[in-house]
Formats: sequence, C-alpha cells, structure tokens
Amino acid sequence: MMTTNNKKLGLYIHIPFCVQKCRYCGFLSFDRAGQDLHSAYVKALLRELACWGEVAKEHKVDTIFLGGGTPSLLPGESIVEILEACQTHFSVADGAEVTMESNPGTLSREKMDLCFAAGVNRLSIGVQSLNGEILSFLGRIHTPEEAVQSYFEAREAGFSNINLDFMFGIPGQTQIQWEETINRALSLSPEHLSFYGLQIEENTVFYDLLKKGELKETGDVTDRRMYHYAIDRLREKGYVHYEISNAAKPGFFCRHNMKYWSMEEYFGLGLGAHSWFNGFRSSNETKLETYLDGAKAVWVHKNTEKDTISEYVFTGLRLIKGVSRSAFCHRFGVSIDELFETEIQGHLKNGLLEESEDGDRIRLTSLGIDLSNQVMADFV
Amino acid sequence: MDPYQESIRNFCIIAHIDHGKSTLADRILQKTGVVADRDMKEQYLDNMDIERERGITIKLQTTRLHYKANDGKEYIFNLIDTPGHVDFTYEVSRSLAACEGAVLVVDATQGVEAQTLANVYLALDENLEILPVINKIDLASARPDEVKTEIEDIIGIDASQAPLISAKEGLNVEQVLEEIVRLVPPPKGDAKAKLKALIFDSYYDNYKGVVIYTRIFDGTLKKGDTILLMNTKKKYEVTEVGVYSPGPIPIGELRAGDVGYICASIKQVADARVGDTITLENDPTEAPLPGYKKIQSMVYCGLYPAEGEKYESVKDALEKLQINDAAFFFEPETSTALGFGFRCGFLGLLHMEIIVERLEREFDLAIITTSPSVIYKVVMNNGDVQMIQNPSNLPPLMEIDHIEEPMVKANIMIPKEYVGSIMEICQERRGTMLHMEYITETRVQLHYDMPLNEVIYDFFDALKSKTRGYGSLDYEFDRYEKSNVVKLDVLLNRDLVDAFSMIVHESKAYSRGRFVCEKLKDIIPMHQFEIPIQAAVGQKVIARETVRALRKDVTAKCYGGDISRKRKLLEKQKEGKKRMRQFGSVEVPQEAFTAVLKYDDNK
Repeated sequence: MMTTNNKKLGLYIHIPFCVQKCRYCGFLSFDRAGQDLHSAYVKALLRELACWGEVAKEHKVDTIFLGGGTPSLLPGESIVEILEACQTHFSVADGAEVTMESNPGTLSREKMDLCFAAGVNRLSIGVQSLNGEILSFLGRIHTPEEAVQSYFEAREAGFSNINLDFMFGIPGQTQIQWEETINRALSLSPEHLSFYGLQIEENTVFYDLLKKGELKETGDVTDRRMYHYAIDRLREKGYVHYEISNAAKPGFFCRHNMKYWSMEEYFGLGLGAHSWFNGFRSSNETKLETYLDGAKAVWVHKNTEKDTISEYVFTGLRLIKGVSRSAFCHRFGVSIDELFETEIQGHLKNGLLEESEDGDRIRLTSLGIDLSNQVMADFV
Repeated sequence: MDPYQESIRNFCIIAHIDHGKSTLADRILQKTGVVADRDMKEQYLDNMDIERERGITIKLQTTRLHYKANDGKEYIFNLIDTPGHVDFTYEVSRSLAACEGAVLVVDATQGVEAQTLANVYLALDENLEILPVINKIDLASARPDEVKTEIEDIIGIDASQAPLISAKEGLNVEQVLEEIVRLVPPPKGDAKAKLKALIFDSYYDNYKGVVIYTRIFDGTLKKGDTILLMNTKKKYEVTEVGVYSPGPIPIGELRAGDVGYICASIKQVADARVGDTITLENDPTEAPLPGYKKIQSMVYCGLYPAEGEKYESVKDALEKLQINDAAFFFEPETSTALGFGFRCGFLGLLHMEIIVERLEREFDLAIITTSPSVIYKVVMNNGDVQMIQNPSNLPPLMEIDHIEEPMVKANIMIPKEYVGSIMEICQERRGTMLHMEYITETRVQLHYDMPLNEVIYDFFDALKSKTRGYGSLDYEFDRYEKSNVVKLDVLLNRDLVDAFSMIVHESKAYSRGRFVCEKLKDIIPMHQFEIPIQAAVGQKVIARETVRALRKDVTAKCYGGDISRKRKLLEKQKEGKKRMRQFGSVEVPQEAFTAVLKYDDNK
C-alpha cells in the first residue's frame, strides 16, 4: 500500500475471550465461549480492520497491540490471520512493535512459533504472581512453574522482548510474598515489567466478596510499601521506571502504551475498544452479539482544545519523566504555567510535583505518584 | 342580600400533612370543570416543583370555581388551598381570614392528627363553619366510623353527615360540593359600603408588579380606582382587578364577598404588606380590619454562598423569596470561616430546608447552611439583655449572669404502642410531660413542655422515625426560661471553625460534641496530613477524632487506552473538590454542615 505521509498510528486489537474469568476481573471478557464464537469474532474483527484501513490510508502503523482478554487463547492461525489483515489494510512500518498479551496455559510452543513467524515481536505474559496460593486465590488457571516455563519457551521461540505482568496489593498477600515474586521475576531478567496495584472493581467476584465482608482490602500503607519496594529493586537492577506501573530495560519501553501517555493516535478494534484519532475519542460497541453483526462506535466525542490539553497533562503525568513545558508550548501554543498557574504552584509547594533539573519538565514526586489522582484531577 | 353575594362560598381546605388536601382540591377543580381532564396534573394548585416533589403545599393558592348545585342554582366557589405542615401554620391562618368555611379533610386510616387539631383550632378562632370530610375510604385499612367518632370526641364537631370520599378515585366528591353549598354561609358585607379589603397574600410579577390577593369585606373595587393601603398609607391607581380560575382572569369589579387579585403598579412587595387593609382614597373606611400577628421567626441559621463571588446573587434570590414569604427573614452577616453571608430566620427546620432547596433549584445557587439556632435571651452581669441567635455572638462567659432559652408547649399524637419510645425521646430532649390523654382506645395525645432548641434540632425526624411516620407534632412558643446552655465549638486541625459552633444544653455538650466529631470524621476526606477534629466547650476539649493522612490515591492502569474512563473519574474527583470549603489547610465538603444536624437513627 502506498503512503505519502509519516503520520504514525497504533492499533489496539481486543480479544475478549478467556479460559476462565479471573476473580478480580471487571473487564470486557467472556469465558467458556466456544470455537464457533471465536471464529465469528475474528471474522467481525477482520471486517472492522478492512474498514478502518480506508480511513487511515495516510498513516503508518508503527505499533500493534493484541490485548484482552486472552489473545493467546485464539488458535495460532487466527492470530496469523489478524496480523496479515493488518498488513493488507494498513501500511505497517518496518520494525513496528507488535505485542501480544498471553496467559500461561494458553500458549503452546507451537502457537508461539506461529505467532513469532507472523510478526509478533513482543510477548506480554500475565504472570501476576509467582506464589501458587495467590494465583489460585486470584482465579488464575496457571501455576508459578507454568508461568516460568512459558517464559523460557518464549525465549526459545525467539522472543527477545518480553513483558511480565504482576499484581500487588492482593488481599492476603504479604510483603514477603511480594518481595519473593519480584525478586524471582528479576532473576528471569525480562525486558519489561508491569506491576499493577489490585483495584477491586464492581461486577467482579472480589467485589461481591468485599461487600459481603469476606474479603479485606489491602491497607494503603502496605500497598505503597509493596509498590515502592518493587520500584527500588527494579532500579537497582538497571530498569528504568518510566510509567507509574511500568519499568523496562533501556530501549524497551512499550512503544504502544507510550502512545496512550503522549496523546499519539491509535485505533482500537474489537469489542469495546477505544480510539483516539483525528481529534476524536470513540469507543466500540460492548455487546458481543451486536458487535458480531457489525462494528459500530457507540460513543464518539470530539475533543475540545481544553479536553485535549487536560488529557495531555494527566496522561503525561503518568510518565515518570513528566510533562515538558517546551513540548506543551510547542503543541498548544500556550504556556502550561499560564494555564495552570495555581495548580502547578500548589502542587510544587505541597510536594506532589517537582521540576526536572533543567527546569523543563514537571513531574510527579515519589509521594506525588502515590497521590497522583489528587494532582491529575486539578487539570481536568 | 343580593343574589350574587348569596351565591358565593369562600372556603379553604385544611388537613394534616398527607391526608389528601391537594388531591381533593384537584378533584374539585375537575368536577367544576375549571381544569379540563386533559390538563389535569397532580397537585394542580401546587406550582412550585418542590411542592410537587415533596407532595406538600407550601404557598397558599386561590381559585374561583362555578358549581351548579342540585338545587338548580349556580354557585361561585372561592377555594383557597393551604399548607398542612406545622411550619406553615402562619400561612394557614392567613387564608382562613378570607373564608367563611373550612373543609376539614381527615384520613380514614390515620384519623385525627396533631396538625388536624392545630388547624381546626385556627379555623374555630376565625369562626369558620367546619365541614368534616373523611378521605381515603378506598383503602383497605380505612376505618371511617372510628374516625368519625374521633372527630366528634377530640374536636367536638358533628361528623355524622361527613362525606366519605376517596379524592384519589374521585369517589363522592360531589357530596363535598353539596355540603359546601349547604353548610358554608355566604359572605356577609355590603357592596355599597366603604371599601374594606384584606391583603392575604402577594407575589411579584415581572410585568404587572406586585399582585395582591385580596378578600373584599365591604364595598366595591374596580380598575381606575385609587386605593389607600391603610397601614403603609401608600396610594396607588388600580390597573387590573380579577380572579384566578385557575389562571388570572381580569374582571370588571370585585365586590363585597369576593376573593380575587389586584394590580396597581406597586413596585415593592413591602409596600403591600400582607394583613394590611385596602380602602379607597377618596372614600376611606374609618377602621382597618384586624391584621395578622406579626410572624416571629423561630429558627435562625447562616446561609452562605458556596462560592464567595455569588454573594450578590444569593442576596437577590433571598430578596425574591422574601417577597411572598412573610415568615422568612434575613440580614447580612459574616463568618471568619465562611466569609460573607446572611443570617436567616425561619418558622422551623422544614421551612429552612425548603428555602435552601429553592435557592439551589430555582436560582441555581450552591448554599452552605450553618447549625440552626433559636434565640437565646442573654442577661448580662450589668442587667442588660441581649437576644442572641448566632452562637458566634455570644458574649464572653464572665460577662454573662445567665442565659434563658425559649420553651414551647408541644402536642404530640401517636398510636399508643409508641408511648414508651416517644416518652424516651422527649426525655432525652429535656422535655417535661404535662399530661397525657387517650383520645381513642388506640391513640394517645402527649403534652410536653420542651426547649425549642431540642425541637428544632432533630425531634421531628426522631418522632417520625420512632413511630414509623404515625406520630404527629404541633408546638407553640410559651416562654423564656433560665437554662444552663453552653457554646460548643469545633476545631479542625486546631483552628476554630465558627460556622460549626452551636449553643447546646450543658448536659448535651458531650454527646453532641462526640456526634459532630464522628460525623465530620466520616465526611472530611483524607488529606496529605492527619487532621484532628475536636469539640470544645470554652478551653476544654470534650471530644476528639482524627482523619488519617491520605497514603494512596492512584489508578493502576487505563485499560486499552480508555482515557475517557480515567477522565470521568478525575472529573468526579474534581467535582468533589469544588464542593469543598477551605478552612485553613483543611477542605470540608459542604454536606458536612447539614450532616452534623441530621437525626441519627443508630445513635
């Protein structure tokens, strides 16, 4: 396909199927869906890809992210089909980052080979914990050993950019258990690590248990101790803590996720996926049956300049390097300090924000990360 | 008497709240064809949104109806709707003065309640003919015969002929209309005499100026006449006279016996005082009609704009509300914590809530309310007396000889099974029982002597809650009495917040202090630092709670670039911050001010 323009674009492709719904998961995913449903879904997805391709003729796709759900649950052939469709309908840049999320237990060596051959060059494995009891408490289908095995098999299959996802602040999880998990993860030396504090969301098993008083949320003090322990250890091991919940070896930041924090454009394809394109935010149909009949945005919002500015700041603050004054001024033609004088000064004073050494960047302090919503809310 | 005047029936409907007064008014409007069935909506006469939502009547309304009776003659009905809640007794007494009869609606399932009695006594004071009607007979639990006996025993009027109706179903409403023709006497008065008319309400219309609701007792009034308002001595030329039916309809003249409205390009509502007598400038009557007692606000509190810059808008709004609410009083005041605001006087807590709600809804203003207070009589060492209704104005203790608080006579009606628990809540509120009587086999009337400050705090809520809504209350001011009251202060992060200060009885200081601290602890969000909340009397801290420091407020991730969800969360958070009021370094949500006043069932 011909392109005359270097406008960059990310593609997020949502696969809403799982073997079993995790007990903390409030996200759009379905378990125990049959093969027929899987293939019907892939068909709908291919249709959607074709139609978006038209819209983004002038864009160069430099990241593709297969997220879920559990994309690795699909047959390898389906993954291949989807990635081929991306190539057919979009102009995909050489060296584009192609990530696939996966869960141990859904990823055979054969499937890995297929996906790798099809162009997946970054594998994200949802390990969550390396403690067996915690994994079964979470409702995960794998053991720590299976997770580690998946990691090594991925290496054998040729993946040289691997992310491991972890969770902390799980009810009942001790500081020691978390430290063990992190240290064992570090000993595997993955290129990228994500560490998410568990948030108990509505419409999850955990939420019901919490309401019934059968589950006790992790206290804030413990939660923060776990978080800061992980960051300190990662840094010691040479990782760069670059986003609130993400760290990577130098050069291995997730380029796709970086788009979310830098207001770069992306298309979301698949059930309930979100897009940011051409000044519009939109999201797809969330009912599976309706989606299968034809993809349709159910929510479209044209960002005002004010929307875009506030999003630029609050997403930018998720990055540890923060928001650049000069980049802001370049993009919006106005000084961030003029727009948000009281907010910035207030938080510089109360210790939640700080300036970079060269004075160009405004970023969260360590305490500011813990209380980041307090800061971000002032910019919306 | 001329046949026109002979055909007039001026009446109001009185009832305890929720006994179906407005529904009966609705039916009467329909039966007399004033409101076409298709235009009918519930509580037709209740114009304010807030009246319809709360299902209560606040402002009185008046409507002229034509009714062709079974005797073949056509009658003119002037129906004046009235409020039922204890707070609005004043409004009731105003409308009664314009009538010759009162339809007394009693709920067939509930029987006679405290405000039924209070309203009947008001009507009897005005020598009105009382026409009892038993409503809600369609309900399974209706017990009309017992209720008839109650009316006869408690009120002492004949109820044997009382129509048994269901206003909701429209059942037997004609009987009520026939009874009005039969029982309510036509108005007395002489259309040829000197003009004597009573202002019983008024409101401001942007086009016509002040619109006066009036009842003509003697004489005739028409467009072009120059009227003299006897109290204010002001003169105006009448630009329009008319009746409401139910919208305003200009007519040629209003004559003795009529109820209607007058416009006379009056700019200030204060110039057409409710209770004043209207006469003609060139042919005045000698003596004015007896006016109303000037209404005395019983409950005071501070109202502050949530956003300081809205001060002028709040002032404008308060002025507009005051125009047709004679019982509402306000004057500017300042608070160190809240800045510029207004000290306002109300008839009771419901009245206060309604004013605040109207400010928020009709004028789109966010309002902070401080603890309501009664007026204390502070006798100084040098013998001077100060009337204090703002706790912050209480003089230093060493200069005070003693303080007196207002006492009321409260009349409480309840089903007998609740006697124990109600006696308990009265006792907790420093009430002294005067006597108790069985009004029927199952219902009891308790007479209490109680401090008003206890009644306004949460007594009504407690009464309703303990009796599952079956208890009713009426009270009137009795006297001032020496009392051991103290000023309770609240300190946030060691700074006194004057807006939370309240005057309480010494015996209550500890429990109130603890209650306020606990409530504030739940309501004040965590800050970056720990916040001590203290309640103190003088220098002595009597209760303390702590809001822990905020340690975590971070979102772990945004799934698949779903920025809108994150934005919504942040917007909600910011909205919450906006509703906060900054006191020193502490941000307090506005609902904190009302929450510390609410009755707590679990207490």
